[in-house]
Amino acid sequence: MAIIEIRIELKKGVADPEGSNTKKTLESLGFEGVGAVKCVKVFEVELDMGVDEAVKAGEEMCRVLLANPVIQSYTVTAR
Amino acid sequence: MAKKALSVKRDVPFPLYDVDLLSASDEDLKRVSSEMSLGLSLDEMKVITDYFRKEGRNPTDVELESLGQAWSEHCCYKSSKNILKEFVFSVKHPDVLSRGDAGVMSFDDDHGYALRIESHNHPSAIEPYGGAATGIGGIIRDIVCMGAQPVGLGDPLCFGPLDRKGELPPGTKHPKYLLSGAVSGIRDYGNRIGVPTITGGFFFDERYTTNCLVNVSALGIVRKDELTNNFAGGPGETMILIGGRTGRDGIHGVTFASADLTSTSDEDSRGAVQLGDPITKEPIIHACLEVNHLGLITGMKDLGGGGLSCVVGEMALSAGECGADVDLDKVPLKEPGLAPWEIWVSESQERMMVTCKPENTEKILEVFSLWDVLATPVAVTTDVPRTRVYWKGTKILDMDTEFLTGGPAYNRPYVNPEVSCKDKETFPKIPSAGEVIPEMLSDLNIASKEWAIRQFDFEVRGATALGPMVGKLNAAGPGDASIVMPVPGSFRGLAAVMGCNPWFTEADPYNGTMSSVEEALRGLVAVGARPDAITNCLNFGNPEKPDRLGVFREAVRGLGDICKALEIPIPSGNVSLYNEGSVGEGVLPTPMIMATGIIEDTRKAVSADFKEPGNRIYLVGKTKDEMGASLLFRKYGGSGGAVPASDPMVFKRISEKLLTAMGKKLIRSCHDCSDGGLAVAVAEMCLSGRVGARIDVPKGAQENVWLYSESNTRWIAEVSKSAAAEFERIMGSDAEVIGETGGDALTVAGSSIPVSSLYESWSRPLWDIMGGTA
Amino acid sequence: MKAEDVKVCVIRIEGTNCEDEMYQAFRMVGASPELVHLKQLAGKAPDHAKRNLEDYDILAFPGGFSAGDYVRAGAIFAARIKSDIGPQLRKFVESEKPVLGVCNGFQTLVELGLLPAFEGVMSETPTAALSTNDSGRFECRPTYLRNDNRGNCIFTSEIKKGKISMFPLAHAEGKLLSADPRFLEKLEENDQVVFRYVGPGGAKAVYPWNPNGSPSDIAGICNPAGNVLGMMPHPERVMTRYTHQDWTSCKGPEEGDGMAVFRSVMKKLTK
Repeated sequence: MAIIEIRIELKKGVADPEGSNTKKTLESLGFEGVGAVKCVKVFEVELDMGVDEAVKAGEEMCRVLLANPVIQSYTVTAR
Repeated sequence: MAKKALSVKRDVPFPLYDVDLLSASDEDLKRVSSEMSLGLSLDEMKVITDYFRKEGRNPTDVELESLGQAWSEHCCYKSSKNILKEFVFSVKHPDVLSRGDAGVMSFDDDHGYALRIESHNHPSAIEPYGGAATGIGGIIRDIVCMGAQPVGLGDPLCFGPLDRKGELPPGTKHPKYLLSGAVSGIRDYGNRIGVPTITGGFFFDERYTTNCLVNVSALGIVRKDELTNNFAGGPGETMILIGGRTGRDGIHGVTFASADLTSTSDEDSRGAVQLGDPITKEPIIHACLEVNHLGLITGMKDLGGGGLSCVVGEMALSAGECGADVDLDKVPLKEPGLAPWEIWVSESQERMMVTCKPENTEKILEVFSLWDVLATPVAVTTDVPRTRVYWKGTKILDMDTEFLTGGPAYNRPYVNPEVSCKDKETFPKIPSAGEVIPEMLSDLNIASKEWAIRQFDFEVRGATALGPMVGKLNAAGPGDASIVMPVPGSFRGLAAVMGCNPWFTEADPYNGTMSSVEEALRGLVAVGARPDAITNCLNFGNPEKPDRLGVFREAVRGLGDICKALEIPIPSGNVSLYNEGSVGEGVLPTPMIMATGIIEDTRKAVSADFKEPGNRIYLVGKTKDEMGASLLFRKYGGSGGAVPASDPMVFKRISEKLLTAMGKKLIRSCHDCSDGGLAVAVAEMCLSGRVGARIDVPKGAQENVWLYSESNTRWIAEVSKSAAAEFERIMGSDAEVIGETGGDALTVAGSSIPVSSLYESWSRPLWDIMGGTA
Repeated sequence: MKAEDVKVCVIRIEGTNCEDEMYQAFRMVGASPELVHLKQLAGKAPDHAKRNLEDYDILAFPGGFSAGDYVRAGAIFAARIKSDIGPQLRKFVESEKPVLGVCNGFQTLVELGLLPAFEGVMSETPTAALSTNDSGRFECRPTYLRNDNRGNCIFTSEIKKGKISMFPLAHAEGKLLSADPRFLEKLEENDQVVFRYVGPGGAKAVYPWNPNGSPSDIAGICNPAGNVLGMMPHPERVMTRYTHQDWTSCKGPEEGDGMAVFRSVMKKLTK
């Protein structure tokens, strides 16, 4: 059995209001030196197959459901 | 979970304990209650011991857990029910169709509407997002189990000051965090289930810092011939458990709600906070309403406090001396390894129980299957008035249903509170109206709630005729009641609004509660709706403290008196006690009222924004020297003073006249005078309509009393000159001209404030604190 | 076809929650709508409840939070539709039967690849996205919309070009984005722009009049054939003037602004 981690993030240049809002809030709470804050979504998927196969399956999952290629990019890694 | 005091493990392949009460000392009994977190007093433990002595055996842990739930304040109202009986339950009314899990009133010939409000205070203080969300989930289930389609939500919230500086008491979250979480929870749950959030309110005071209040209310519409019972039809029926799986979430939620919050509640009680799942709930609503519509069920009830342990007995008992045999093995679980008592008392969310004749079971399961909602027969009703629960073939609970679900009732000692009065009044030094009015508009208890309101979908279902904000698009001001048109194709409107003045109630519980009710009713009349019913959530302190109970008692007396005098029924209600916080001061006594009214033709509804220049402004009703606990006194350091009283007969007379004038379309805009008095009411009408006004203080009036007193039974009405004569004829001496609309400023008492700066003062504060812009 | 013979499939799954008002809106223009669960179209229902998409004349995707909007607004609904009734849906659109998606319905149409659909009626993967509002918040607001369609869209045939209507909206993801650098030009060339947000009096929309930051203030688009319309604001919520947010302070006809959208499509089908 393999466990893969699928990381979905917004492509460069796509506004990330959740990230920038969080940044503002962190700063207002007194955290200093806060740089860019980015909101990322992670799925962990258990698959009953080998690692290589699982990563391929994960990429297919992104293509058909988990990522919208217009605004999101994805990376799939085995854990 | 390892059982402790006096527990003997039964020789069965799962955790089951017999608890030796029969030979226990008083100390032992107290220890059992505390170690099992039953929340039962010594006297209650003794009653239980006597019961089992008659049964000739010791109870199982499952039985004790079950009693701990059923006899909690939250489930059986043991401290409040005698007081409610004395003052409130006697309010009878022919239009009440049901007093079930939600109250149901007649709406039109074919329909009734359901209403209810309840608290979700303690869970929200620990985890505001989940607490508020599951609060919505619970109130929606109460509406659905009457067979009603939910059509509106309300969410009055009380928190500590948002700009609170300095150290917080241990275990307390900052009010800003709590508010933000609660609003997000309401948004994500209410919006997802597609029920418009149409009313609510924010109340900020230091006394809510360690114990915030999150109340939730809902309205529904039901065909009269589809109104459901919350109990079985008789013996031999199937009980089908609907919805979510059962897990450890929400174990001991009711015993938690019925005790004071302490500084370690945060760590201790996470288990008592449930997580909501609106996307399980939404199809449950559809499917439950469908099986009811198809006439397949005999009863429906939601699993709230106490979970299965409360719902099974109650549904059987109310069916007329019935009992139930429960096969606990059938209950679908979230995870293996739950002890039987955990399954029996779990408060996992999104669950309902329906009862049916056995021949309808398959058809019911088919409907739920289409919606992918779990539905599992778990019990049958019997003609023996006992609740019997089986787990892996072993009987683990066998008790008289009435004993199990009844619970005790107490007449606890109380002392009557001292009330604020005119004799001890100190009138504060205040600046000019030009300064006072903008400052009051900026007070967070008055200022715009737009930051929250626009995160709530208040228009889903496409039936919202008046929302929580009125006036100019995207620059709207505060409204009074909201109106929805719940029957497609009909313009008959259902109006709803919150009313509450915890500061009045603190200073004078009797008059403060009457004022809270009247404020809500005034809001209905202001939009042209005839008051029809109220529901209330009484948020008070620890009833075991005589001074707290005295306040509660006086408040309930006020509630009963005004409703009896006005013949306004209270078909449902909720009591939340033990709101003490960790500092021991207790919350402000907070009788949260939701009032509902009916407007026969919504097309005649009136909103609160001034409509055009050149109209007369009338004060409807009389201003009295009642400055006690007013916003002016709170803001500028006044003390004492009489709290506004309500004269129900005067309210009845004036509101009838106003409704007559509205029916004749004589009134262009109307707004209730409450917090901040006449001055704030007029300012709000200016800023929402972007129309200025000139107000003349009458000769001989005490200017600051006239402007800022919060006397009851008053409205501001805008009437065109052509309609003035007829309006005056209807109103008689109950209305007087106080000015005229026009210009770009509010001119009053020697000051002139531009309408644009009124709008700024009112609209900015919450955005500035919570972030973002209008 | 007579109005009452126009069969409308208002499709739903768990979490779609504006189907009742969508149903009522079609009722108000005389059509025969039906609330149909996706499983009924996919053959995953008892026989008496099974339905065929091809038996309907209009398909409407209501607003809401289909499947909780988990993963991405509309994504799960779209994935299930594709796997359950993908070919039937493609056929439905190819035969130029009208399809309306409002709010979450619009998000679903984009995720399905039915909009903007520059090439073919239904793209394999989405070619546009409805992204999080610039404010980062759920916004429940009134909007002014200008009809910018030049006659292609079947749902606006009864609305004069340039006419400004008031529709409310309520969403957290309504900013229409595309990776195609010529996205806006193509929409214009194909007459696919239907509604734009405008300010009071038709002025350029700035926040909050453009409540989500959608480029070029686009609120609704149709496919090149004009039979599929997706829009964020809710015409079905303003079928009478008494649900316009400012109806107490202005004069106007009894009919609400949203009625024209439904009347337009009915006119085409019933003539």
